[in-house]
Amino acid sequence: MTSLQLLTEPSSLSSSNFIPFNPLYKTLTKPTTKHYPKPSPIRSVLQYNRKPELAGDTPRVVVITSGKGGVGKTTTTANVGLSLARLGFSVVAIDADVGLRNLDLLLGLENRVNYTVVEVLNGDCRLDQALVRDKRWSNFELLCISKPRSKLPLGFGGKALVWLVDALKDRQEGCPDFILIDCPAGIDAGFITAITPANEAVLVTTPDITALRDADRVTGLLECDGIRDIKMIVNRVRTDLIRGEDMMSVLDVQEMLGLSLLGVIPEDSEVIRSTNRGFPLVLNKPPTLAGLAFEQAAWRLVEQDSMKAVMVEEEPKKRGFFSFFGG
Amino acid sequence: MASFWTLQLHPISIPHRVSTNAFELRPQLGFNKSYRIWNAKNKYKDFFLKAAGNSSTSGEDNPIKDEKFLIKSKRNVMLVLQNQVSRLQETIISLPPIILSIKSSPYSKLALGFCIAASVLIVAVRAYVARKPRYQRQGSVADLVRRGQLNSDRRGISKTPMYDDPFNNPLVKISKNNSSVEMCGKVYRLAPVTLTREEQNIHQKRRSRAYQWKRPTIFLKEGDPVPADVDPDTVRWIPANHPFATTISDITEDLAQNNVYQKHGVPFRIQAEHEALQKKLEALQGDQKFNNLVIDPGTARNFERPFKSNIKLDDQQVEHNSANGQTGLRPESQPKSHESSSNSTSEEKPTQ
Repeated sequence: MTSLQLLTEPSSLSSSNFIPFNPLYKTLTKPTTKHYPKPSPIRSVLQYNRKPELAGDTPRVVVITSGKGGVGKTTTTANVGLSLARLGFSVVAIDADVGLRNLDLLLGLENRVNYTVVEVLNGDCRLDQALVRDKRWSNFELLCISKPRSKLPLGFGGKALVWLVDALKDRQEGCPDFILIDCPAGIDAGFITAITPANEAVLVTTPDITALRDADRVTGLLECDGIRDIKMIVNRVRTDLIRGEDMMSVLDVQEMLGLSLLGVIPEDSEVIRSTNRGFPLVLNKPPTLAGLAFEQAAWRLVEQDSMKAVMVEEEPKKRGFFSFFGG
Repeated sequence: MASFWTLQLHPISIPHRVSTNAFELRPQLGFNKSYRIWNAKNKYKDFFLKAAGNSSTSGEDNPIKDEKFLIKSKRNVMLVLQNQVSRLQETIISLPPIILSIKSSPYSKLALGFCIAASVLIVAVRAYVARKPRYQRQGSVADLVRRGQLNSDRRGISKTPMYDDPFNNPLVKISKNNSSVEMCGKVYRLAPVTLTREEQNIHQKRRSRAYQWKRPTIFLKEGDPVPADVDPDTVRWIPANHPFATTISDITEDLAQNNVYQKHGVPFRIQAEHEALQKKLEALQGDQKFNNLVIDPGTARNFERPFKSNIKLDDQQVEHNSANGQTGLRPESQPKSHESSSNSTSEEKPTQ
């Protein structure tokens, strides 16, 4: 799951010295020697506030797409977006799913969407009025492209989204670090509109052949359009099925698509629960398995890194002599 | 005990002449400790006064006798006090200590435990009772949480997150030889990624051969002619009955772009509608030659939506206007107003 490269990099070396302010961590990592290092408070503060280094020019316009529907594009957008906001980056998430808008529901912002891009284009409101700021993380904003019952005028093609990105660049608050575009399923007009302003793409897929065929097709279209930086997130991975060879492993998926991995999200029942609550997974306390995987994916997205090692199967946990007694 | 002694002996040790009457006063002082402490001042006042009186009556010719008396009285006072203290000590010793008394009887243990449990229960119930009305108060933060306006775990000042680094925290631990990772209590075996740059390029070439595609730049309705300067491959045909996409838009491209770029002020559509209404109102006022700026209720009806009841009103207005000699204006202006109002509603429909 975690990248092996991280451990050998200097940044990871510094992270190994990272001591979070957590009593649990202290109990887990007992010092082996009695030799204590010199106290360096400034360094420890810096370690605690460690952030991933943003690579590339801002705003980074990332389209989150997949050929097939129901693989988790919107879930990924919500969780990766809020993870980025938690890491301190300003994020604007655009729900470009014209017909079937859902991102507002996942974020719990459905009651706060009054204006959309359609109203902005028509001149019924300004762009800043259409942006919905999340109260939990104020550097996260949502922009919906249209209301479910209205039709999006496509007379300008994908130009409307290019204008939007330009307008966001010139905002008074400053240019956002990330613009995440939640792409609709399929390769229809909505898909074309969504990919128009994007510089990079995140392809979400599940390890089944139907999703893989569509993902390959979409990757081809994105490459034809000039988007070369494409990474994939393999969602809903079940290690127990992989072990029994009932599901393709992540490495098999990678072999079929030939894309670098941004993250592997294990199947987690908490995803449904968080969707129903309108409370993204990454904000859960305590964090869940899928939430952690989304956070790791967001970290790699910031640093334009990819996975160097993947989880293949679950191992039985090594138990001590007194494990029978709960030890 | 030492402090007790010092307390009791300090007032006595003041060098004053004490007569034999002091011994008579002694029983009045009593043996009660508290009485002695709190009433000491009053008692000694009387004592010194009497002592002074005695000295005056006895005269100053026999100072040696007085000195002897003083020494004797001091000794006696000391003895009396020693007796008092020893009696107090005896009473203290005679009382059994609490712990011993508890140890002695098994029922007392039970009683003590019961008392502690009861007191804890009372404190808990009291705290709960005090807490409950606070949480039921309308408009409180707890009320907001119950109504779903706030999330319970992020109330007030946000807590610091449990960790900052998703790769290095108590829930994610990588083994020393990088062969396994423990996430949320489950251990997973790690396998290195084998995809190379060459393999990626091979896949890209395969896809470029398989999928020849040009992103459509223009959307046309089925049946529309393709413009001369547009590549036919980059045209996307949108059916007229498409569920959520349409090629029809009532605003030009430049206007839409300006709308998106607008940062301040009133949005274009709102301003345009307002200006149109203003112009219309002025035109109506000019036609009717009303110089006053007060909105006439008759003209204001023109902006109302066409209800069924308006038909009757229109008839009445026509009659009214014909009486004023304006029959030539009203039949023309009335349908126009209906058209414009119906147009405005039709424009508003898609935006709603």
